[in-house]
Amino acid sequence: MPNVLWLQGGACSGNTMSFLNAEEPSAVDLVTDFGFNILWHPSLGMELGENLQALLRACVSGEIPLDVFVFEGTVVNAPNGTGNWNRFAGRPMKDWVRDLANVAQFVVAVGDCATWGGIPANAPNPTDSTGLQFLKREHGGYLGSDFKAKSGLPVINIPGCPAHPDWVTQVLVAVATGRAEDLSLDDLQRPRTFFSSFTQTGCTRNMHFAYKVSATEFGQRKGCLFYDLGCRGPMTHSPCNRILWNRQSSKTRAGMPCLGCTEPEFPFFDLAPGTVFKTQTVMGVPKDLPEGVDKTGYIKLTAAAKTAAPAWAEEDIFVV
Amino acid sequence: MAEAAVQTLEISPVGRVEGDLDVRVEIENGVVVNAWTSAELFRGLEIILKDKDPQAGLVVTPRACGICGASHLTCAAWALDTAWQTEVPRNAILARNLGQLAESLQSLPRHHYALFMIDMVNKNYQNSPFYEEAVKRWAPFTGRNYEIGVTISGKPVEIYALFGGQWPHSSYMVPGGVMCAPTLADITRAWAILEYFRETWLEPVWLGCSLERYEEIRSYDDFMAWLDEKPEHANSDLGLFWRMGVDIGLDRYGRGLGKYITWGYLPHEDRYNRPTIEGRSQAVIMKNGIYDGATDTFAPADQAAVREDVKHAWYDEPGGLHPFERTVNPVMDNTIDYDGKYSWAMPVRNEQFGRLEAGPLARELVAGWEQGESWQHHDPLVLDMYRKMGGASVLLRHFARMHEAVKIYREMERILREFRLNDEWYIKPTERDGRGWGATEAIRGALCHWIDVEGGKIRNYQIIAPTTWNVGPRSDDEARGPIEEALIGTPIADPTDPVEVGHVARSYDSCLVCTVHAHDAKTGRELARFRVA
Repeated sequence: MPNVLWLQGGACSGNTMSFLNAEEPSAVDLVTDFGFNILWHPSLGMELGENLQALLRACVSGEIPLDVFVFEGTVVNAPNGTGNWNRFAGRPMKDWVRDLANVAQFVVAVGDCATWGGIPANAPNPTDSTGLQFLKREHGGYLGSDFKAKSGLPVINIPGCPAHPDWVTQVLVAVATGRAEDLSLDDLQRPRTFFSSFTQTGCTRNMHFAYKVSATEFGQRKGCLFYDLGCRGPMTHSPCNRILWNRQSSKTRAGMPCLGCTEPEFPFFDLAPGTVFKTQTVMGVPKDLPEGVDKTGYIKLTAAAKTAAPAWAEEDIFVV
Repeated sequence: MAEAAVQTLEISPVGRVEGDLDVRVEIENGVVVNAWTSAELFRGLEIILKDKDPQAGLVVTPRACGICGASHLTCAAWALDTAWQTEVPRNAILARNLGQLAESLQSLPRHHYALFMIDMVNKNYQNSPFYEEAVKRWAPFTGRNYEIGVTISGKPVEIYALFGGQWPHSSYMVPGGVMCAPTLADITRAWAILEYFRETWLEPVWLGCSLERYEEIRSYDDFMAWLDEKPEHANSDLGLFWRMGVDIGLDRYGRGLGKYITWGYLPHEDRYNRPTIEGRSQAVIMKNGIYDGATDTFAPADQAAVREDVKHAWYDEPGGLHPFERTVNPVMDNTIDYDGKYSWAMPVRNEQFGRLEAGPLARELVAGWEQGESWQHHDPLVLDMYRKMGGASVLLRHFARMHEAVKIYREMERILREFRLNDEWYIKPTERDGRGWGATEAIRGALCHWIDVEGGKIRNYQIIAPTTWNVGPRSDDEARGPIEEALIGTPIADPTDPVEVGHVARSYDSCLVCTVHAHDAKTGRELARFRVA
């Protein structure tokens, strides 16, 4: 019966909403079939027999063993490092986070806000927000680069805006069933199972990418979204086209450019004028190239691709 | 009694759109006599949007609220459409409306089972004749219908994913239309998902009858006759919710301000292809309006009449500004001072009508307004109930929300029939400077965005969410906000477990969590604290 505590800081509840879409197992199954004991969750939990503060204190004192501490949302430090702009249960949320992280066996950051700071940390970061162990790509974050939970693992980062429910439930089940050693983390502390391949892996527009046939405008059933519409699928690590969203589709399949939301730089270019849904180029070559491809290679590749592109690639071929 | 104490309850937190929300309540002789609502999280999204790409709102604002992200996206897109003077094709209007409705349909069972009905199995109601059955059905996690309801709530947003790629947090609505170009397979799959939702939950569990039978209910008397008609009706989740709600007195408190606002929503696919701020009210299927229950009169709702006060909110700006004139300047010291500033939420008011309640009840009351075009939605039921039952209550407010399930379902069906797959989905607009306004109805009420684009970037972006209307603190003239007002008169049977406060807060669906701290006002001793979400 692993004890799970889930709190929200500077959050929109999007990860909770995403989590509730899970089906195999569903959020309810985690409790009824997998034996999770949800100590408290902002929207799912049962009424507490005693007050929440007492429960949190009992976790901090060790009276109630805290197996998994899940955090959603940013750690808000404003104003002036006090954290008073996000108070919870009688004190700044950031103080609860420190105390609870120190006693938990595992600390799991769910979503971009908790991992890297996400949208709230976007310039000018008015709430002085940070992720649990990163701020953007910089290691450290709120808990510091040396932080390790009692299990010996650092914060397990499950990024995404939001995170896919299966990424969350599979990590929780692994941790709860004693398979945490099977979780191999990359240098951004993301589980490799999910974040080694690319968003582009499995995208239905891959043939158009290969022939450099662009979707130049929205609302089309053909073309790749990388060349003109700012898609970050080739540079972003996520399984969005392997483990589909809501069991049905993905943004790139439906025609929406990937925003790179599992990477620490999201939202890219700080949403500066001219950067949203537009590929950033220098002399006609994208500023950000597919991972591992250099500029010379890219120019040769696309020149060859263009030459080889078959006529059907310009037709309405129902890639969605 | 000599010690007939004034007791104070503090509810912390209640919110998500504006963040965590604290509610403080004073109880005298077992009845709430005063209340304050205080939002406790500031994220500053409007500050982040300043000087950004004009389309940044399409990325940022769905993240204002993970529960109502599609509604924010809808507003963000329409706001830019009006600023850029775009042309929006018919298919795109339908696709946007479908996304909005899918999100709303999701929210009905999710809020109902995971948030609202938990209070019905509170031990305070164990003497109700319905209690045993309620626990069997609605106890968190283990209740039979709790699991069905929470799980089915993920289905409608599968339709959203077919058009937008994922829910929550897609940005598939863009000025000029939508990003997708769905196929016949997508439409067919969406139909099948809707059917599954109807056959698994909506008819057998929720209604206990067919949609067609339910749609015959047009008045309070019709509803009561339906309830008595068959055991299947009386024992459906709707029937049991109603009967137990009356038994435990949910029809007798939570009245509120008695004045309501809805922006209306769902622009008709052939009537808003050249979107303007001024033309919106005449183009929406679900009517726009303000209803004043005291005089039983209606009026149009105009964005130009919106004002925001600051005397009791943690901002350092002049009070009474229209959102276009605001700067969003947070104060550094957010100490709670109930005589001064005590919330991050702004008290929003209408210049003429004052403080207003937003939400499904507002929408359904205005749906009863006789005025309107033949193609606009008209439904007299909730207005008739409001008149016959003597105004609003926790029961009627939540009923109004769940009553929308059938009409949302029907409109989604209609949209799927209306798509013309070979027509366009997007017309590329010309980017330009200008002011825009986009609105919709999130499931929990009136939502809108104002955008001011200058020099190719955002000069000012402002959001007023339904939760802002409902949880706002006192306005500069000391008028209470809607939830503050609705809490007045609430009977508290057990001050150490005041579940009634939770019912009121939850009937507004004011986002998520809500923990109650009960204090004895004289000694400061804490009596109890409990979760109501």
